[in-house]
Amino acid sequence: MNTINNSQHDHQEPRIGVYICRCGGNISDVVDVDRVAEVSRHIPGVVVAKVHTFCCSDPGQNTISQDIQAEKLDRVVVASCSPFLHELTFRGAVQRGGLNPYLYEHANIREQGSWAHKHDPAGATAKSIRMIAAAVGKLQYSTPLDQIRLPNHRKALVIGGGVAGMKVAADLARRGIPVLLVESSGRLGGRLNQWNRVFPTDTPAGQLVTKLLAQLDANPLVEILLNCKVTAVTGFVGSFQVTIEGPLGPSGAMTSTQTTIGAIVMATGFKPYVPDDGEFLYKKDPGVVTMPEFIDLMRGQQTDTGELVYKGRTIRSVAFLHCVGSRQIDGVHTPRADGKINTYCSRVCCTTTLQQALAAKERFPSLQVYDLHQDIRTYGRGHEDYYVRAGKAGVVFFRYHGDEIPRVALADGKRPAEPSLHITFKDYLTWGEELTLDVDMLVLAVGLMAGDIPDLINMFKLPVGEDRFIQEIHPKLRPVEISVNGVLLAGTVQGPMNIEETLNAAGAAAVKASAMFLKDVVELNPYVAQVETDLCQGSGACVTQCEYDGAIVMVETQVNGKTVRQAKVNPGLCVGCGACVAVCPTRAINLNGWRLDQYDAMVDGLTADIPAVAAATS
Amino acid sequence: MTTQLHKTLHEEMHFFGGKDVDLCMNCGTCTVICPLARDEGGTFPRRIIRLIQTGQKRLLVKSLDPWMCYYCGDCSENCPRQANPAETMMASRRYLTSQYDWTGLARLFYKSAMMEILTIVLVGLFVTGLFVWFHGPMVLSFPVQLNTFAPVKWVELGDWIMAGTLSFFLLTNAARMVWNTLGGKQMFGISSLIYFKAVPVFFDHMFTQRRSRQCGSTRSRSFWLKHLLLVSGYLSMLVLVLILLRWFQTDRIYPIYNPQRLWGYYATLALLYPTGAFLISRWRRKEPIHFFSEASDWIFLVMLFLTALTGIMVSLARVNGFPMTTYVIYVIHLSIAVPMLVVEVPFSKWSHLLYRPLAMYLVSVKKAAAAVSLKTQTEAATA
Repeated sequence: MNTINNSQHDHQEPRIGVYICRCGGNISDVVDVDRVAEVSRHIPGVVVAKVHTFCCSDPGQNTISQDIQAEKLDRVVVASCSPFLHELTFRGAVQRGGLNPYLYEHANIREQGSWAHKHDPAGATAKSIRMIAAAVGKLQYSTPLDQIRLPNHRKALVIGGGVAGMKVAADLARRGIPVLLVESSGRLGGRLNQWNRVFPTDTPAGQLVTKLLAQLDANPLVEILLNCKVTAVTGFVGSFQVTIEGPLGPSGAMTSTQTTIGAIVMATGFKPYVPDDGEFLYKKDPGVVTMPEFIDLMRGQQTDTGELVYKGRTIRSVAFLHCVGSRQIDGVHTPRADGKINTYCSRVCCTTTLQQALAAKERFPSLQVYDLHQDIRTYGRGHEDYYVRAGKAGVVFFRYHGDEIPRVALADGKRPAEPSLHITFKDYLTWGEELTLDVDMLVLAVGLMAGDIPDLINMFKLPVGEDRFIQEIHPKLRPVEISVNGVLLAGTVQGPMNIEETLNAAGAAAVKASAMFLKDVVELNPYVAQVETDLCQGSGACVTQCEYDGAIVMVETQVNGKTVRQAKVNPGLCVGCGACVAVCPTRAINLNGWRLDQYDAMVDGLTADIPAVAAATS
Repeated sequence: MTTQLHKTLHEEMHFFGGKDVDLCMNCGTCTVICPLARDEGGTFPRRIIRLIQTGQKRLLVKSLDPWMCYYCGDCSENCPRQANPAETMMASRRYLTSQYDWTGLARLFYKSAMMEILTIVLVGLFVTGLFVWFHGPMVLSFPVQLNTFAPVKWVELGDWIMAGTLSFFLLTNAARMVWNTLGGKQMFGISSLIYFKAVPVFFDHMFTQRRSRQCGSTRSRSFWLKHLLLVSGYLSMLVLVLILLRWFQTDRIYPIYNPQRLWGYYATLALLYPTGAFLISRWRRKEPIHFFSEASDWIFLVMLFLTALTGIMVSLARVNGFPMTTYVIYVIHLSIAVPMLVVEVPFSKWSHLLYRPLAMYLVSVKKAAAAVSLKTQTEAATA
């Protein structure tokens, strides 16, 4: 084992302050914090070690700031909760004390200490001490860092002109940010153009489109490009170089144009699940339709005859089947071409089905309406109302189990006036009784699938989830951001959402994008790779390893009058993953803030022969 | 076996009083709250409502559950959707009565009160006509000579013809009930010992109606007693008129303490008091069981009440020596009693006197048969 040894470094003796938080008992009930402070004082470089009940409180933070002045501290460690919660808090406190905020380390002795080892106080105490020793060790090699500042082009690109894209564009423009709205079809509105009235308000979908269009038209900052596609993108947050192709300009001929963009919002939406030919007799019998087809045919119906007519046939009975293409079960459902099944719930189909079933029953009272579901998931405000009303209107509900999908067969064609579809299923509201239902029409409440955007996924390196939708960084804490800096998500590109949720997501994406434009520079964390020019031999291993196009490149440079090839980092594109560090044969690349010598020091700290720790552990 | 759904069953139920079936969301509160359901596997009323709602006619006709319910109304009281499960159970009993009946008359009467009333009037007029044309001499001296006006042997003959005819219809209907509920031909697979051993169950429930006493909290305590009283009065009259008519219809006036008069008065009171109380309760909607009244309910109670009322009036007129009054009221009495029996016994509400204990008997048979079958299967599996 190594003993902590300060002789390795040449700069003057550091003065480190260590602050141990009780977290109101969360930590101190298990960890002997006074002992931790006592031992910490003996770690070389530490001049102050204090215990506080709540370090994150104002008095706690003030203690740190004041100690920096009074004790002439030049580095600080706080041992408390997860850095996810309060790292930024304490960086602020350190900055207020007059230090560079990156001369700070966080030791997580709550989640990784008192909470993880609540039945082993002595062990938790010893572990806390070692974690502090590691942080102190790392700090000794820390250098002041500054945020990376890059030029920020005040213009946003929104890809997709559906309800989400329109909302994002309208919101951004209202905040004075120029927006380029690119839509691949010839019309704005997206899926809304397909729907009739939308839940939970039964507002005509067209009305929503008209309102959003009016907002876009009213704002000169919005530029709308129809029939256009984004075909290439380079650059990084603040300055993306985007190539757009389409019939641009008055000639209408296909041309391509390049433009510089600060932030990009993906609002490319979803596509409805399309059943396989023959799945529930889809495409085999004209009476089997998908929900979008049903909505379309309902829109074209005349109510004055009192009869629902489809393809010349009077429909007297209709069954709605939930969960077609959603909540699929391995071994029960046939996988799609990519070998996957759709295990997720599509969220919108239940309420849509109830809304359409109710509308059908209300418009054609003599129509027999049946609803076959696994569950009714009317989770939103006003959704359950459709269920109650549908039940009262006489819609009859059946419940099947997901692993016993209803079977659809053609009834014999001897009597043409009779219903043509023969649905057999086990009804778990009647104790699993096997029932058959003869209907004229079967509506498949199809789910939502991720849109077909392979080009955009490749171009932007979009993270794709198991369900094929684009995946956010964190579903709760960072719901509209993705791992690609400067690219945001709005709406169903991310997963199934109803219109309200889509608009919420779009609003959030617009706010996030607006916040990026608050400053005319983009400020990024300084944790990016840095090449030590005197060590780099130009092997190029880092470039091969790097997953991020353009983040690290080989350039010709002059060293001592000779032209050599060396690696160069583009800090705007580097995400600080460290892959290049690991492959460099000469240890010529380091990650700022996480340099290799800092790791060495942390390992030394963790394994240091601290006599007090040995005593505490025994 | 797959059940074919009948789309119009829930609409058809409207004729039988089941008007709120569509409101049910199958939550099962009714079944949880029912103190009787748990003995029978805990499925009704929800299962019955479900069968009606979805049109599972085959299973509904096969079910004995409707007869297991004695209508306390707790389920309706607690239903979160006001779907009125108790009344649906009542409606399903009316429906089953019409399904057991092979003549189609029960169905006709339940669907049309006018047809029921018309039938009663026609049968009543027929009885009146018989007396108008075929009555014996009207002796107007004291004591009243009722047996000269309406000779007991002829009346008895009429009784037996009517009893025979009505029994034929009622028993064939009951046979259909047995056939339907025991699964058709499967009933012959059950050993006769099981059928025999269950017989006491039939009489137990016929004479005690013990399950009615276990009914829920909203049921008044006296209901069971009133209903039992009514049945005792009814059965008394049946015995007196069918078996003991020669002893009961006499011209000789016995002292008031003579069993002939005492038994008659008891039977009259046992009919008048409950029917009167039930009529008032239905009118004022006092008890949950009386909240909803179909035409068939009113007709049954009114006819029964009038039968008893005219019966006692005949007795009073005869005992007090008013010959003409006696003869006239006697004719009116029979013109009410006969159509009441003709319509009600095989085709309407009266039939539950047989169907209810029979249902308990059949449940008992089914349970015993299931136990035997399970035992056989287990033995086969172990062997």
